[in-house]
Amino acid sequence: MVLSGWEAVFFWVFSIAALFTGLLMIMARNAVHSALFLISTLVSVAALFVLAGAEFVAGAQVLVYIGGVMVLFLFVIMLVNVGAEERGRGQLFNSSAQVTATALLGLLLAIGLVYAINQGVKGLNEPNRRSDEMAGQRTAEQQALPVSATGDMKITADTQRLGSSLYRYASLPFEIASLLLLVAIVGSVMLARTLKQEAAADDVDPEVLKEVVTTPEERAELESVSR
Amino acid sequence: MLNLFFPALVFIWQQAPGGRMSDVSNSITHPDISKFLVIGALLFIIGVAGVLTRRNIIVIFMSIELILNAANINFIAFSRYLQDTGNANAVAGQVFTVFIIVVAAAEAAIGLGIVIALYRNKETIWVDEIDLLKW
Repeated sequence: MVLSGWEAVFFWVFSIAALFTGLLMIMARNAVHSALFLISTLVSVAALFVLAGAEFVAGAQVLVYIGGVMVLFLFVIMLVNVGAEERGRGQLFNSSAQVTATALLGLLLAIGLVYAINQGVKGLNEPNRRSDEMAGQRTAEQQALPVSATGDMKITADTQRLGSSLYRYASLPFEIASLLLLVAIVGSVMLARTLKQEAAADDVDPEVLKEVVTTPEERAELESVSR
Repeated sequence: MLNLFFPALVFIWQQAPGGRMSDVSNSITHPDISKFLVIGALLFIIGVAGVLTRRNIIVIFMSIELILNAANINFIAFSRYLQDTGNANAVAGQVFTVFIIVVAAAEAAIGLGIVIALYRNKETIWVDEIDLLKW
């Protein structure tokens, strides 16, 4: 895979944007700012997916991550109270020894990974054609794609290939993933219940309930539910 | 001092046949698979640093999402590489990425449920104050 021309320009723009907003994400004081920086990182990564020719995965990333997961994160940030951190009183990072150790570990990881990648890529037998030739072939393939209804865009076969591969080679993992999502839904509903809701579901041991409920207000609340 | 020497260095590099400077400019104007892998590795390191240094448990969860996305970049890059080399099942990397996105969504739902239950019981979201198992 070799990008060229405007593809290369956009590759550098989006990769630098992803790294920059990722760094800002772990350094932001306000958790809401962190979430917004993570959203920009995910958008940049989705753009990198488009550049690598994975249009469906880019769309799924935008829909699932940004439309679903990040909205969930923002809800939880606003449910729990992060006032002390926002007002600048709370300490943002762990002890300075741990931060120093992490910086050293990150530097070592960066040097090691970049060295290993540069060594390893030499072993990949990229088809030995010149890069402009390959880019020309890619453009020719894109020109041959069918035209969309409005006539000014092309329809890629990427989603079609991904779908047929998903059902042909990965149908069992697909079913397991649907089961996993079901378990996750049930689990998160179970975890986020309040004591009142648990008592209303009538599956709490009365002995345990007596130990947990101590204040008169809670007891009155419980009484009103159980009747 | 460096400014004085730099044009000379550039000159030497450009003069060398197939020299280092032309290699560098070629790799910038024609990014290949290794650039995707390096970006993925750097995003992974940023995520690891976020997990190890932050005190806010929600930011730690967001860093984990960043780590998963860094792995996705590698899968997509190798999928494109296999497509270019004409492999039989060339979109296997994209299929795996879809599963990673599914697992990340499930993980976020469960993890945030745990955060809410934890906040309800301990009134804190700072990980160094949640030390019930430490003695």
